[in-house]
Amino acid sequence: MEEKVVRLMRKGAITCGEDASIRQVAQIMAVHSEHYCVVINHNHEVLGIISARSILKAFGKDLDRTTAGDILLPHTITITVNTPLKDAIRLMDKRKIEHLIVVSDRPGGKAVLGMLHIEDIVKNMAPNQEG
Amino acid sequence: MRVCDLMDREVTVCHLDDTLDQVVRLMKSNQYRPVIVVDLSGEVWGVISRLALIRFFGEDLYEIRAEDVMRPYKFDVDPQWPIEKAIDLMQRTRYEHLTIIDPHAGPKRPIGILSSFNIVWFMSRIETGHYEQILKMPREWYPSCP
Repeated sequence: MEEKVVRLMRKGAITCGEDASIRQVAQIMAVHSEHYCVVINHNHEVLGIISARSILKAFGKDLDRTTAGDILLPHTITITVNTPLKDAIRLMDKRKIEHLIVVSDRPGGKAVLGMLHIEDIVKNMAPNQEG
Repeated sequence: MRVCDLMDREVTVCHLDDTLDQVVRLMKSNQYRPVIVVDLSGEVWGVISRLALIRFFGEDLYEIRAEDVMRPYKFDVDPQWPIEKAIDLMQRTRYEHLTIIDPHAGPKRPIGILSSFNIVWFMSRIETGHYEQILKMPREWYPSCP
């Protein structure tokens, strides 16, 4: 039977508003030791994601005036709990992103349910030994 | 700020002939850090990131060698470089992990690794003991779970 994202996803996510500055986003990521931050609007709907790579690419810009909304990767890289794990991994590889946002599979569902972390995929690649 | 001030000094290494199964186990036991690939003399040949590994999800990991998966080592980065020079290299080459070598050793021996997350730390400019500043940020910016 095909494995689904729901088996490996973690509930909840680190988030910021679209108006947060890059410095603030970097601080949120650093404090939580997470390599991503999900950008949401005032209705808690997903707008996109910022990765460590996005922050790296933004070096040289004004960290206090450039906002999360300016550098986010759009929410086209979201998946649902029922997305096959293999498809999610292909998406990670294609977009070079280590975290995918899991949203509801209801039409128009844009609230964050959780995240698929690359660590959890690696952990399951050699599952017969505790990591 | 120099590269050596920011880089991770805990380097995880494997050999060119190690199987991907061994690489996965090494990565799991070292907080999922990238694994540096070295030859028998300890000289660096490449690096295996998490993204490189997951391409082989579901495959027979005993049949795949580290050398076939690694991103080859290309750029000599001195630990004394200013951090801005290393960031510029990462931006231009799209390398998310730079292997830092010992400039005083003959062979290219890895002594650290600089990753994009180290740069996040640098850009956040958080000093130890200043976490309370983050906690004062507007509520909508500080973590909200659905």
